[in-house]
Amino acid sequence: MAEMSIVWLRVAAGLYSLGLIDSILTITQRRAHLFRIAVGALALAGVFHLVSIVEQGTAIGQFPASGFYESMSLCAFLITALFLFVYWRYRLESLGVFIFPLVFIMTLVASMGRPVEASWTSKTVRDAWLMVHVVLVLLGYAALLFTAVAAVLYLVQERELKRKKPRSFYHRLPPLGTLDDLITKFMSWGFVFITVAVIVGSIWAFVEFGTRWVTDPKIAISLFTWGIYLAMVFLRVSAGWRGRKAALLAITALGCSALTWAAHAQLQSLWLR
Amino acid sequence: MKLLVAGVSHKTAPVEVRERLAFAENTLGAALHDLASRQGIVEALLLSTCNRVEIVVATDDATDPAATVSAFLQESRGVAPDALGPSLYQHEGRDAIHHLFRVASSLDSMVVGEPQILGQLKQAYAHAKANDCLTGLLESIVSRAFNVAKRVRSETGIGQMAVSVSYAAVELARKIFGTLAGRTVMIVGSGKMSELAARHLRRSGASHIFVTNRTYERAQELAAIFQGTPVEYTRFAAMLPEVDIVITSSGAPHFVLTKDEMQRVIVARRNKPMFLIDIAVPRNIEPSVNEIDNIYLYDIDDLQEVVNSNLRERIKEADRAEALVAQEVEHMMARLKVQEIAPTIVSLQGQLEQIRAGEIERARRKLGPLTPEQEEAIESLTRGIINKIAHGPISELRKQAGRPDGVHVIDAIRQVFHLKD
Repeated sequence: MAEMSIVWLRVAAGLYSLGLIDSILTITQRRAHLFRIAVGALALAGVFHLVSIVEQGTAIGQFPASGFYESMSLCAFLITALFLFVYWRYRLESLGVFIFPLVFIMTLVASMGRPVEASWTSKTVRDAWLMVHVVLVLLGYAALLFTAVAAVLYLVQERELKRKKPRSFYHRLPPLGTLDDLITKFMSWGFVFITVAVIVGSIWAFVEFGTRWVTDPKIAISLFTWGIYLAMVFLRVSAGWRGRKAALLAITALGCSALTWAAHAQLQSLWLR
Repeated sequence: MKLLVAGVSHKTAPVEVRERLAFAENTLGAALHDLASRQGIVEALLLSTCNRVEIVVATDDATDPAATVSAFLQESRGVAPDALGPSLYQHEGRDAIHHLFRVASSLDSMVVGEPQILGQLKQAYAHAKANDCLTGLLESIVSRAFNVAKRVRSETGIGQMAVSVSYAAVELARKIFGTLAGRTVMIVGSGKMSELAARHLRRSGASHIFVTNRTYERAQELAAIFQGTPVEYTRFAAMLPEVDIVITSSGAPHFVLTKDEMQRVIVARRNKPMFLIDIAVPRNIEPSVNEIDNIYLYDIDDLQEVVNSNLRERIKEADRAEALVAQEVEHMMARLKVQEIAPTIVSLQGQLEQIRAGEIERARRKLGPLTPEQEEAIESLTRGIINKIAHGPISELRKQAGRPDGVHVIDAIRQVFHLKD
């Protein structure tokens, strides 16, 4: 991608990150602190984003929708524009929880369309960076595992209460309210860990492999899993999905994560290449 | 010291028998006094409740406690113990301790695990204590029984499960919401049971109670009882999204709440769970409402089913409690054993030490001044001798303590060594 276009895109990504922070705060603290600032930043970022796309279009002399990075950037911009329109028209604040992280990650990935010349300054920094990614992912998986375990207990207890014929499960399992609380907490923190891990991991792969990594199926699976996670958090926080449906969703997310993990179990080979 | 528990309970005697033996609250003091003043009685406790009458005494070794208690029953209650036949149970020694521990832990109660009996026993204890009837052995056993009861309650699930329909409703609410703090309740219609359930919910932390009724005045009356808010009957359905727990007991001949309506309510609540308790017959809430996610509907039979299951669960827990009680009896017996022989061991050791000190003094007079090394040698020599001598009788005392005929052996040892009390 053209040099100036990338610069504007990175500025936009920086502004979008405010939206991500707002989402994280909303999910973990159950309060929207930064929403107005985040929307402002989003609008401003949209302008930079548009500039970036126009720049790219002029540079290559055609509509900038060819190739992975260009279409990713365009898609993220359209989502932003649509969100701003919907927000202006319907004041749908709750949608932000879903849109902000999505737009940020998409723009971040799109802004990696041009490999940087600078390589890692030292092997230690490179390894530490990767370790941060791995630790965050594992923390995220641990939280997700707890979410899923609590979800299974929830389903069992819910069944007991619906069947109205209490057996020993009924006496020994914790109350639904407590389990629901646990699911919410673990899921929120897991989401934060995984999101930061995705960001850190993308940057690592970008510096390491330039633009090649995006086509790797493992990366695609990871991003897909993150997408499921995002959808789960959104449905819960905004759409009020609770109880049985939310529990099933949590178990699905764990299944997808297991798949991602299996795909990455071979990460070593990619890393040593 | 001998220990005896004699009594009748709901398990052994019908109410006609129990009422003849029962002590009214105001005659308890006099009865205790009468009992304690009898020949040989050292300590006494009277427990009289509607389900049991227990007479507990500790007597000196020369007295037959059973005969004394029989005489007491005969004279104070006008009941000949023989006439009671198998209704009257008597436990002595270890069995008496076991029985007291079981009673305190509510293992012998009509509804196993109900805690009232512990309060009643504490009252009986206070009574006996106030009349100077608990001074040693029996006091330590009864206060241990309180500890055992506490252990049983905290270490087994025996008292945790609700055994009445209205408490079962509270228990279910807790299973659904976790804590009841901040939950709101709506009572539709009126009735004893819904009132009782609302009262329990309120006491467990429910923050607010709304009351509705076809006659608004009735709603106002009921609301006043719970410091709740009366709601017009026509408006109550609109308020449902704000309410976590609904109790219906109206006399309406048709369903007051239908599935379609509740579907709308749960959407308006954004799927926050709801607990519906339908106590009315005929039922007020369409049964298929239970199929809606996050709504839990229980009718009167469902609640009864929970109670039955809880009772079965309590009986399972009672097995664990029995094991715990047995273990505590074992500990108590071991403690009593030590208490019983401790004075003899102390005076035996004192006696020997006295002899040793006297002999050293005499030797010193003969030998004149000694070097510190010599002093040390004599000291350890004599101490070694008395320890060797004491070893045999002390281990014999420990062995005999608590045995039925151990008293004789202990007496013999005391005589042989010329021990005084």
